[in-house]
Amino acid sequence: MTKFSRLAATASTAAIAVCAATAVLAADIFVVGGKPDDPFWSIVKRGAEDAGIVAEAQGGSVTWLGPQNYDNLGVDAAELIRQAIDQGADAIVGPDWVPEAMDPAFQAVVDAGIPLVIYNAGGIEAADRLGAMNYVGSNDYKGGFAGGEYLGNKGKQNGVCLNTLPGAANIEAFCSGFVDGIVSVGGEGSVLPLPATSFGSATAVAQALRAHLLQHPEINAVFAIGNVDANSAVSGIAQAGKAGTVEVCGMNFDESILQNIKDGTQACAIDQQGYHQGYLAVSILNSYVNYGLTVPTREILTGPGIVDSSNVDATMAGVAEGTR
Amino acid sequence: MNSATQSVSTGTHGARPGLGVTLGRLARRPEAGSLLGMVAVFLFFALSAGTIFVSPAGFASWLNVAAEIGIVALPIGILMIAGELDLSIGAVIPASSLTLAIISGYYGLPEPIGIAAALAFGLLVGAINGFLVLRTEVPSLIVTIGTMFAVMGLTLGLSVLLTGSTSTNIVPSPFYKALLGQFVGGMFQVTIFWWVGFIIVAAFLLHLSPFGNWVYALGGDKISARNAGIPTERLTITLFMMSGFCAAFVGVGQAMVYQSAQVVGGQSFIFNSIMCVVIGGVLLTGGFGSVAGIVLGTITFSIVNQGIYFTGFDPNLGSVIIGALLLLAVLMNDTFRKMALTYSTKKKS
Amino acid sequence: MDTFAIGNLMRRPEAGAILSLIAVIAFYVIFGGVNLVNLFGAASWVNFAANLGIVALPLGLLMIAGELDISIGAMIPAGSMSIAIVSGYYGMPIVVGMAVALGLGVLVGLVNGLLATRTTVPSLIITLGTLVAMQGIVLAGSVLLTGNASVPLSAPDWAKTIFGQLLGGSYQIIIVWWIALTALFVLIIHYTPWGNWVFAMGGDKESARNAGIPTNKVTITLFVLSAVSASFVGMCGAILFNSAQVSGGMNYIFNAVVSVVVGGVLLTGGFGSVMGIFFGTLTFAIVNQGIYFTDIDRNWSSLIIGVMLLLAVLMNNSFRKLAMTARPKKKPA
Repeated sequence: MTKFSRLAATASTAAIAVCAATAVLAADIFVVGGKPDDPFWSIVKRGAEDAGIVAEAQGGSVTWLGPQNYDNLGVDAAELIRQAIDQGADAIVGPDWVPEAMDPAFQAVVDAGIPLVIYNAGGIEAADRLGAMNYVGSNDYKGGFAGGEYLGNKGKQNGVCLNTLPGAANIEAFCSGFVDGIVSVGGEGSVLPLPATSFGSATAVAQALRAHLLQHPEINAVFAIGNVDANSAVSGIAQAGKAGTVEVCGMNFDESILQNIKDGTQACAIDQQGYHQGYLAVSILNSYVNYGLTVPTREILTGPGIVDSSNVDATMAGVAEGTR
Repeated sequence: MNSATQSVSTGTHGARPGLGVTLGRLARRPEAGSLLGMVAVFLFFALSAGTIFVSPAGFASWLNVAAEIGIVALPIGILMIAGELDLSIGAVIPASSLTLAIISGYYGLPEPIGIAAALAFGLLVGAINGFLVLRTEVPSLIVTIGTMFAVMGLTLGLSVLLTGSTSTNIVPSPFYKALLGQFVGGMFQVTIFWWVGFIIVAAFLLHLSPFGNWVYALGGDKISARNAGIPTERLTITLFMMSGFCAAFVGVGQAMVYQSAQVVGGQSFIFNSIMCVVIGGVLLTGGFGSVAGIVLGTITFSIVNQGIYFTGFDPNLGSVIIGALLLLAVLMNDTFRKMALTYSTKKKS
Repeated sequence: MDTFAIGNLMRRPEAGAILSLIAVIAFYVIFGGVNLVNLFGAASWVNFAANLGIVALPLGLLMIAGELDISIGAMIPAGSMSIAIVSGYYGMPIVVGMAVALGLGVLVGLVNGLLATRTTVPSLIITLGTLVAMQGIVLAGSVLLTGNASVPLSAPDWAKTIFGQLLGGSYQIIIVWWIALTALFVLIIHYTPWGNWVFAMGGDKESARNAGIPTNKVTITLFVLSAVSASFVGMCGAILFNSAQVSGGMNYIFNAVVSVVVGGVLLTGGFGSVMGIFFGTLTFAIVNQGIYFTDIDRNWSSLIIGVMLLLAVLMNNSFRKLAMTARPKKKPA
């Protein structure tokens, strides 16, 4: 077996050498992101692939690498980054979800002399620390914060964050951001974690929230960590007979969420504008690898944007195109 | 997953309540343990949670959850009585939701077509499960893990291929919304009434028709069941189709209630339905259990799952309590079953 | 089991697993345009296989003995969280953290084993209970103790070298552990009486007990082994990646069962081999990670995993029939 690994190691170095040698002009860009069936990440993927059309026209390629699930987020993503190096990437885009777990992998990218853009999570701090070219994106904490601030400013001063996936780092960031956001405008916030047996069951989530609202009548704002949960939250509030008094904001959106906003059952959705994250990150790297072009602006923020009744119609047009 | 000998012997004794309803005494019935469990759990939450829990709002809270799990738990329970398992339901639920949403929402075809397609899909997956289990003689746990992955992949791939997105919304017409996705009195999901209907059908099938005897016999000892002239192959396929159908029905209901469908979700139903059935006193090794037990188990599970929010407990402890309850229920049922077996016969496995 | 005495390779339990492995690679090369040099050069699937394999080995043995353990899904985060809380949050020596992580594995394994031997409840149900309970305990424990659901950990150099090093920059040291453990299990299962006991129990527990095999002791040991292995994997992950989070591990349940079954182990017990489990894990890892090297859209990966599992099961079934008809007297299972 050791013989095998030695063989494999030699083969891998050879492969990298070959790839690096052949790909002088065309940029083979690897994008590490969320899982393909995640509504938000499928939009980021779409943005990356649209930018990839340009890369392909110039002889390069864009490859998407995503984990199968978020159970082991940092570790899996670190693995994917290493995999991108193994596959001879000319440039890599990756999110710094769990710095402790992923920084060594990003370090390996920089050490190998591969241009790197951090996107979606980590912020410009991560890009500076790791020696990446730039940072493109919003971040989870700020997204939650914007939601808390929005609801608090609407006069909904007692909020609860509906956490259907307690323990996952990105979700925890939404919730702590929300709590801090609502506190920052003078309100108070709490987190309602649901047991794992409720995850993925809209009814269980709706009923849990309903029960919590009945038990805690002082709560008048709810933050949901995703569009599915936002939908369940709207249903739970209606069943508790509190439609209109309790307002909901949620991360991300789809057609039914926008319909909710149009109908007035949901106050707002936090838009991370994922299309931009994928599109801009890939474009920056493509033009850098091919033509040496750079973007002097550091930290390109794509969000959080807030979708509410004032801009819902324009957003709907984007959804129909698969870009929002 | 115990040895073969054990399952066979318990199975044959356990078949008694189905074969002849001669077993009179309550304490020895399969559901006795689960009834006690349910009462205990209900009293516990009624005392510790206060008035809202025992108000209609409190009942609706766990009934809505129970109805959805319950519709799936019934055929899963019957499958387990027959000695089989079906994990593919976790993938069938979102798949059928999406089928309906894509056909009637995305393409705008009439609801009956979407509903029929979704239910037919469930039946098809069930038929494939049943067929594979029979042909390969591989345990159904493994076969249905395979179909679960396959259906999950198909759902994701086809959804992205057809609609370019992983979620699709649907605005059902008022008639179908009222039929499948309404809240009666603003809080009781109409699914509860469907669940009652499913319970009646299941109770008739399992306890009053010859079909039920076959199921118990199949779970007790497959070979002797076949020798006794029971069409075991047809029966197995029918049972898997039932669970596929019920899972698809729940998926259709969810799409109607929440007016949207997405690729993910449904996985929690896999273990949740097994837990309900086991709390309800059904033996995983087959041959023992009842519809009343399954229903009681489902209610117990739902009360525990939802009751927590009415109490002052830290919601972080939710999973601990559910797990502890499951172990407790299993141990209690085990004791009751042993009691039933020692009373009804001297022979012990 | 006298597996090694049989000369004919085709009748060995791992034959199907090896063929599946070749078939999967062939499929990817032909339909996915995989560059084999790239695939074999990549560490990702070997790392994936090693982490999964360490859990799959004892699980496979449990399945050979006719039991199942799904609580591993909670033991992996339990292992990583307990070392991170003890040595990271409270800053105790790393050895204490390791002892707590592995000790927790022993404890949960004992609970599983005792319940499985003392009651007639199938182990699937028992371990489902401990799975949910452990998930809750880990979450509640971490939130109550640290106020957070993910905890950083910085391990001293020696611990990193042994448990959490990257060899050649990308190969996790856990690969070495996996290979060593596989060798150890081959030795124990196929060359000591202990292995015969396991097979005999899976074949028929009653007669195994009557034959004087300490079935209860063996069962409990196997459950302890699987829980400890799971928390070991979690512990190594925490040391390597300097952090631990509560969620995670659920996918290990199905992945490990699938690997074991692809490796030719019968769920109903009594049939299988350690090398089969080893190759089953490799096959699963290549299916799961290899798709990144293909032109196939990632969206279809679950479908491919499902179809592969069903095919592997069918293939193993044919091989097993072959094996049984060839030596009907030796295999009562």
